[in-house]
Amino acid sequence: MSTERGRHRPLSSFVMRAAALGAGVAAVAFARRWLDVVEVHGRSMAPTLLPGEWLIVEARTYTRRLPRVGEIVLAADPRDASRELIKRVAAVDAESGTVDLRGDALEASTDSRTFGAIPVEAVGWRVMARYWPVPRAARL
Amino acid sequence: MRNPLRPMRRVHAHCDIPCGVYDPQQARIEAESCYKIVEKYNASSDELLRTRCIAVKEERAELTKHHIDVLWHDYFKPEHLEKFPDLHDTCWKASKAASKVKQTTDIEAAKELLGLIDKIDEMWKATGGPEKTRLQAVAA
Repeated sequence: MSTERGRHRPLSSFVMRAAALGAGVAAVAFARRWLDVVEVHGRSMAPTLLPGEWLIVEARTYTRRLPRVGEIVLAADPRDASRELIKRVAAVDAESGTVDLRGDALEASTDSRTFGAIPVEAVGWRVMARYWPVPRAARL
Repeated sequence: MRNPLRPMRRVHAHCDIPCGVYDPQQARIEAESCYKIVEKYNASSDELLRTRCIAVKEERAELTKHHIDVLWHDYFKPEHLEKFPDLHDTCWKASKAASKVKQTTDIEAAKELLGLIDKIDEMWKATGGPEKTRLQAVAA
């Protein structure tokens, strides 16, 4: 058996790791206005997103450009502002500045078919990826 | 301990009616009652029975109409209309037929109502109704 295993690693390796971790924590603390994590409730985005899944969302894209068809976004519920919806962009009308949202599960979704197109300003966050559950981790 | 990776922020893949249980058989059963009642009415000379038939038929036809309307308003979605352009017309005619069953003791009207409900049933089946809106199995 080898007695060499795990003996000495260069100090720089630990310093690097600590620095990376520290930077990561600081970045997360700092960046929650740009980057955040959310938990999915409800089934209207099934089978793409299931209840209880955890996602990474970011808020920078839509400060620079309009949402695009096919992107999954977070938007304030036009009927209950305290609630944040997660839906897919089905259409964008640049002229009127509105977007049309749909759930992937058309049978089980309340979306723009009910409450109409919503102003583009109501769409702040774009869904980037799912990180939990791990086997379903994916870019979205 | 709470999983530190778990997001605090909830987003809603929202649906107004999470129950989402629909089945044209509900309307069909009430309409069958109407049919049978009309048969009994026409076969009988017992005034009391005939009066009761009218009263019960009134009630059953109203229920039929209600179930048709619920399917029409709540189950069917715009994409179903694209698939079945005569969806609105069929539901409208079915509602009208239910009214006619209420007003008359005409067995042909009761038959027509059943036929229209069967047409709605076909559309419900073709849009995945049985799998999507009925429980597949319930543990005791």
